[in-house]
Amino acid sequence: MLDNPFPLNKTDLLKAYRTMRTIREFEERLHVDFAKGDIPGFVHLYAGEEACATGIMMHLNDNDRIASTHRGHGHCIAKGVDVHEMMAEIYGRATGACRGKGGSMHIADLSKGMMGANGILGAGGPLACGAALAAKHRKDGGVGITFVGDGASNQGMFLESLNLAAVWNLPVVFVVENNGYAEATAMEWAVSCDSYIDRATGFGLPGVTVDGTDFFAVHEAAGEIIRRAREGGGPALLECKMARFYGHFEGDAQTYRAKGEIEDLRANRDCIKLMAARLKEAGLAAQEELDVIDQEVAALIEDAVRAAKAAPLPQPADLLQDVYVAY
Amino acid sequence: MAPMIGIIANPVSARDIRRVVANATNLQVTDRANIVLRVLAALRSCGVTDVLMMPENGGIRGHVERGLVRAKAHGEPHYPRLHLLSIPVTGTVEDTHRAAAEMRKAGVAAIVVLGGDGTHRAVVSRCGKVPVAGISTGTNNAFPEHREPTITGLATGLAVTGQVPAHIAFSPNKRIDVQVNGSRTPEVALVDVALVTEGFIGARALWRPDSFRELFVTFADPEVIGMSAIAGLLEPVSRAESGGLMVRMVPPDGQGPRAPVTTLNAPIAPGLMVDVGICDWRRMPPGMPFVPETKAGSIALDGEREISFTARDHVSLTLRDDAFRTVNVRGCMHYAAQHKLFAAAPSAVPASAAKYQLQ
Repeated sequence: MLDNPFPLNKTDLLKAYRTMRTIREFEERLHVDFAKGDIPGFVHLYAGEEACATGIMMHLNDNDRIASTHRGHGHCIAKGVDVHEMMAEIYGRATGACRGKGGSMHIADLSKGMMGANGILGAGGPLACGAALAAKHRKDGGVGITFVGDGASNQGMFLESLNLAAVWNLPVVFVVENNGYAEATAMEWAVSCDSYIDRATGFGLPGVTVDGTDFFAVHEAAGEIIRRAREGGGPALLECKMARFYGHFEGDAQTYRAKGEIEDLRANRDCIKLMAARLKEAGLAAQEELDVIDQEVAALIEDAVRAAKAAPLPQPADLLQDVYVAY
Repeated sequence: MAPMIGIIANPVSARDIRRVVANATNLQVTDRANIVLRVLAALRSCGVTDVLMMPENGGIRGHVERGLVRAKAHGEPHYPRLHLLSIPVTGTVEDTHRAAAEMRKAGVAAIVVLGGDGTHRAVVSRCGKVPVAGISTGTNNAFPEHREPTITGLATGLAVTGQVPAHIAFSPNKRIDVQVNGSRTPEVALVDVALVTEGFIGARALWRPDSFRELFVTFADPEVIGMSAIAGLLEPVSRAESGGLMVRMVPPDGQGPRAPVTTLNAPIAPGLMVDVGICDWRRMPPGMPFVPETKAGSIALDGEREISFTARDHVSLTLRDDAFRTVNVRGCMHYAAQHKLFAAAPSAVPASAAKYQLQ
């Protein structure tokens, strides 16, 4: 036990590190390519928030379903969606996860339990409740997880979902990714009672707040909450306090942020740096090992961009394909 | 001029994993605000006219200010004037640290604290000799006594206005200083320091007894819960006596480095009774540095993992008697009753007494 003081073995710890690095590299690349005008549509970047998606998704399998947000790339990657297909989707190519017709805010892969990023704020709540209801009826131990931002948590749909989950005692977990801003509005100006935990309590759900920049905090808390849901303990809410490195969307001038705020977040609340430091301090990983992962991830993202750019665009004839599912 | 009182109300205590791994309560923001209003009313009735409060963005201030506006509109002079400290709000423990330090500088006569053991620890680490009046709104709350906040407010008001003599109004308290690699500013614990084998801070709370190795407590009270309950159920040590207790623990199944001499079933969190393997315990005298046996893991202060350490780090713990002061609520209220401090005519005798005298 003393040799490894962590709740995961070295293989899983490095896998978590690789996932977080993949998300970061993916987002940093989109930041650059979007500015060049290479990407159609809008993108909302998850950089800085990687520990949340990764810490939670490590407890899930492909049967567990998640409903994501407009800021969904991190959730997709952590849930196992193919990075090449994601990049192609964002580039609007026919090889994309949704044949290039969805774009950043609609990436989905049901084979991985990823029900989709979602441009409608708060819309993931009912979807996750539905998935949880199905799992409950099938008695397969599956859970539904929905992610919601601090802004979208004010939406009626989200609050109705809390009620539905409690009334039906669903195996669903509501994850509030609180990065402090609803687009440009700081949460203290827009969230009554200023506590997501109090909201959960109001519907009879337990709520837990953790530092979302600490992989180990998210992983440990999510593990207990998800286990509780699988065991029939019912729904719960997890608030992760996050650090968003970029604007609400790419191109956001971020005039609402204090001077030096982003620099401070990058210096002191970078979840990847914090995790790497912890692994090295405990003697579980050398910098060289992490460097190798970083290089492999960089190559993966480079290849995904190259393949996306080379892929064909969807054709007008494809427009009505995949709109409806045949039963 | 009546002395000023500081109030530090933490909007985010009692939000941790013990809501899931145990069945701990959540005190909602509106309840916390109502507690502040009750304390303010109690302070005013004792003659306190000005209160300095920590600003926060957790919602307490808004509810309190609404209450004050309504009271004023009703023409009710129930509350003291409320002043907000001019400090930035970060939403972290740093706010509490800064507020306690600023209140000390501002010369407040006492600080009323709403929070759990962690919030109280943060205040005590910065408030110096300023006495603290604790109100529990956290999870374990081994340190602040469980009591209706109105009474805590009344006792604080009586204490700082000199209506109760200082030797009764205030009590000395113990503290454990934790030094890692000879750090100049030690971390402090008010109730307990636990060394566990988990080498990460994670979700902070402690609920897996297999990882418990060493425990150092300032007092051991069998009536409280948390890590100190383990010590309290082995050998009680009061808050008033000198020194504390140290306990060595091992996994209860005998799979650890040595076999337990006994297994203790202890309430380590609300509603959570666990078996803890005990292999040794002894008194912890004040002023003597203790070097723990545990070589790597994390250090939990008052029930929450705060510092992780490895075999390369040198950890030492020292218990201090008379380290800080608290308002002696029980002492103040009994003194008030004895001296009829709340009676308009303190020397009045009951009508029944006069009747009996006639007989």
